[in-house]
Amino acid sequence: MNEQSVIQTRGLTRYFGAKPAVHDLNLEVPRGSVFAFLGRNGSGKTTTIRMLLGLLEPTRGQGSILGYDIRTLPPEARARIGYLTEEHQLYGWMSVKECGGFQSQFYPRWNEKIFRGVIGHFSLKPAARVKDLSRGERAGLCLGLTLAPEPELLILDDPAMGLDPVAHRSLIESMIYLTRRSDRTIFFSSHQLADVERVADYVAILDRSVLRVCCSLETFRNSVQQVRLRFPGVPPPVQNIPGLLQAFRAEGELRLTCVHYGAATEQALRALAPAQMEMVPLSLEDAFISYLGERGEKSFILSETEAQP
Amino acid sequence: MKALIQKELRENLKLAVLGLGILTLILALNAQKYSTILKNLGGISESQQVYLPWQPLVSSDILIGFFCAIFGAVLGWFQIHNESHRDLWAFLIHRPITRTEIFLGKVIAGLMLYVLATGLPLIGFIAWALVPGHVAAPFQWAMLRPVAILVLSGILYYFAGMLTGLRQARWYASRALGLGVALFVSLMFQSEPHLWQALFFILIGGIILATAVWGGFHSHGYYRGQPAPGRLALTGALMPGWGFVLALTAILLVELLLRNSNFNPRSEYQMTKDGTIYKVTRGNGDQSDIMDLAGKPLMDSKTGRRIRTADFNRQLCIRVQINPDFSNRAPHGRWLDRDCNRFTFWRATPDTLWYYWGRYGRLVGYDIATRRFIGSLGPNGFAQNISGNGDRFDNDRNNYAVASRRIINTAHAVYELDLEHRATKAIYSITNDSEAATLSNITNTPHESIGGIGEVSLNGNDWDYTIVVTRSYVRLLSPDGKAVWQFAYKSNHPDYGQITVSFLDSRNQFALWLVPSGHTQEKTGWKLPMQVTWLDREQGALRSTDLPVLSHNRREFAREQKLISLSLPPALLVMLPLFDEVPRLEDIPWVLVRYSLAAALVCLPVGWWVGRRYSLTLPSRVGWAAFHLVFGIPGLLTFLSVQEWPAREACPNCKKLRVVDREKCEHCGADFAPPEKNGTEVFETMAAAK
Repeated sequence: MNEQSVIQTRGLTRYFGAKPAVHDLNLEVPRGSVFAFLGRNGSGKTTTIRMLLGLLEPTRGQGSILGYDIRTLPPEARARIGYLTEEHQLYGWMSVKECGGFQSQFYPRWNEKIFRGVIGHFSLKPAARVKDLSRGERAGLCLGLTLAPEPELLILDDPAMGLDPVAHRSLIESMIYLTRRSDRTIFFSSHQLADVERVADYVAILDRSVLRVCCSLETFRNSVQQVRLRFPGVPPPVQNIPGLLQAFRAEGELRLTCVHYGAATEQALRALAPAQMEMVPLSLEDAFISYLGERGEKSFILSETEAQP
Repeated sequence: MKALIQKELRENLKLAVLGLGILTLILALNAQKYSTILKNLGGISESQQVYLPWQPLVSSDILIGFFCAIFGAVLGWFQIHNESHRDLWAFLIHRPITRTEIFLGKVIAGLMLYVLATGLPLIGFIAWALVPGHVAAPFQWAMLRPVAILVLSGILYYFAGMLTGLRQARWYASRALGLGVALFVSLMFQSEPHLWQALFFILIGGIILATAVWGGFHSHGYYRGQPAPGRLALTGALMPGWGFVLALTAILLVELLLRNSNFNPRSEYQMTKDGTIYKVTRGNGDQSDIMDLAGKPLMDSKTGRRIRTADFNRQLCIRVQINPDFSNRAPHGRWLDRDCNRFTFWRATPDTLWYYWGRYGRLVGYDIATRRFIGSLGPNGFAQNISGNGDRFDNDRNNYAVASRRIINTAHAVYELDLEHRATKAIYSITNDSEAATLSNITNTPHESIGGIGEVSLNGNDWDYTIVVTRSYVRLLSPDGKAVWQFAYKSNHPDYGQITVSFLDSRNQFALWLVPSGHTQEKTGWKLPMQVTWLDREQGALRSTDLPVLSHNRREFAREQKLISLSLPPALLVMLPLFDEVPRLEDIPWVLVRYSLAAALVCLPVGWWVGRRYSLTLPSRVGWAAFHLVFGIPGLLTFLSVQEWPAREACPNCKKLRVVDREKCEHCGADFAPPEKNGTEVFETMAAAK
């Protein structure tokens, strides 16, 4: 166990029926980091988070969180972990104030100022019933309930899901403002790539239940690159390009997104005999989308017969 | 945990208040029904009056039982269902308290609400019934034991409801199987002879269900991931449910497939008014097979065809049956019956109600208008207090026939009752020197006692005869106590435990049937014949005959019973007779056990093979095999419904299929291969990233 890691997994696997939802996950989340956990819908993010919190039994493999085995998380470990679920479900009959009162009785380190700060930020009335709150307001209340116990580790499962832009912005601002403490770790899954770019130090990407990326944001940014090849006629078929993520085919042009762009990739590209070859700047969001999108070749050519050389 | 209890109380209070309202309404309607009965008593026939709910506290028990079971199950289920949404469940489980505390918090709150919803209305109802002037019937606290047990058993349904809500099952319907334990306990505690047995069953059922629910909180309702006691309890909780499902299915199939086959005929002897005995065999249809003792079918003299059952029944004579009991032991039978029948409604006069109350051995009277106690009747007459200074009929071991309302007896005398005038008169005594003895023509032997009496009314209204069975004689008396005939009984007692007197067409002729008790028959191998003696008022015994035992009287099991036993656990068939009042090994239905065991033996290899498919360890497979052997088909189905069917994939090392939930291949010990790389991986060590 690496003491610098607050989350560590080894071969963590979960099957639903005959299908692996998470396959052989080896993950390390450094203490004090903001760690983004990405993947398309159904790639296994929520399953992983539920396993980490002992809410789902792994089919096999091990994991630890704050040094505790995930299968037997004791109450003292749970007191140090804040967990925000994706649908922000709470007891509908409780008022905002009652939610805070209920939650505070379980946490000796409950910080009422933080709770009031967050619900104030979201303009929540203490007497309002949870069932009457909008989705964004409920997300704010959940965030307040998660942050007020001052957890060492925050696990946020797609916290911005379903929120309108205003609520989304409020949530992210609260998160950034209130969680930036040197020893606090944030592990969050999200589909909001702009958020990831804004707050994350590290990124991990699950692709169809398999972990394909686990590195710093900088490393990821540097690893994904795009190159444009121009051809006098119809571009040739793209085959066996090392690290190829996506290829877009247009009239007289091929645009390829690759990881680990290096000599081997360049040699393979030159073998296509392009008239011109140039690197294209790629934003982090584009890099993510290229990575998370469908693999293979896409074409802008309307007629396949025209495309044939 | 306090916060959790408060939350649960608040969350489910509405349901508890609803339950409280429903039970209050049920009890209020019962009280109103009782008042209506008292007002309209004159319009109800005497034979119907016997079955009226004279003590509402006792007669409400079925409704209370149903309410407690349903309310308990709904409350338990709701407590889980409220948080069944995945995220809300995660919010609950992620409390920094142990799962045991979460379980206890829910259960404490749930039981508080259960007690509130059931206890308050019941306490109010009991208080109402105890205030003089409300209920004109005897009361003793022991009568409340059935209600208390029913309320207690509701807790089992509460846990079963929780388990249903909590359990994650592959087969959706199997979530509700936990209710089987509660149902099984409900059946058992009603049929047991002793109260401690009822409490024992409730305790065991409660422990099993509570432990299964506790385990469910550890694994979010799955079998896998539970502590060992939880897994064990869940298995025990689901097995009775499967037993019920299978037994019901088997009964349904037998009913559907074998309904029309007349494979289980039942035979009995019947006597017509002219004193002839016929053997009547009843099948599944309306028509019976009626033959004389020579085996010749009885023909209808008018039609010349075989007589119709309805026509034959019109020719049958009146008969009165008595089961004498000379023992001094306490009343036996089911504890529930004893507690519910601590008094017997005797008769109503225009302004009074009379009950025989075993506690005092006296008839106690209540005024209908004021619903208050007016006094009691004993052998020495009326007393204004309830005990009559110990003067008691002291005869509650006799099960008084419905029609016996004009006479009552002690061990040594029979009394005529005059309830209108609140008086008793001895009409027969076996004490020679007693002034009450009116029968100069009867000689009694020393140590004689009365074991049973019967009042005979040949036209349904008049009092024609009294039958008195003592240790030495069976006597038929006229209403004034004179002997019509007597028959020596001593040599037959106690083997012949049932006496029937048939009253023939000729007013002077009778037939006395002495029927061996089932217990004696079992001991003697079903060889004792039935004895029938024809008697004449003037000439005494005319003739007698011995009738052979009919086949259905032997302890033989019908084909459908054998088929149904295939679906039952062998352990159940062996265990149930051991909870009888006098447990005896010979009461175990070994024939049915053999059938059940045969089914279990089929389950054994199936279970073993499935265990291999699951890659269970050898000790685990042996344990399950023993379970299948003991619990048969329900055991196998329980096994299949708790174990998750594991996916398998080919081992890259040995190429054999291996289950995915092991760290290493169970065949060759190889690790799992990591996911195949596709060249797009970006990894760096965290140290490097820093």
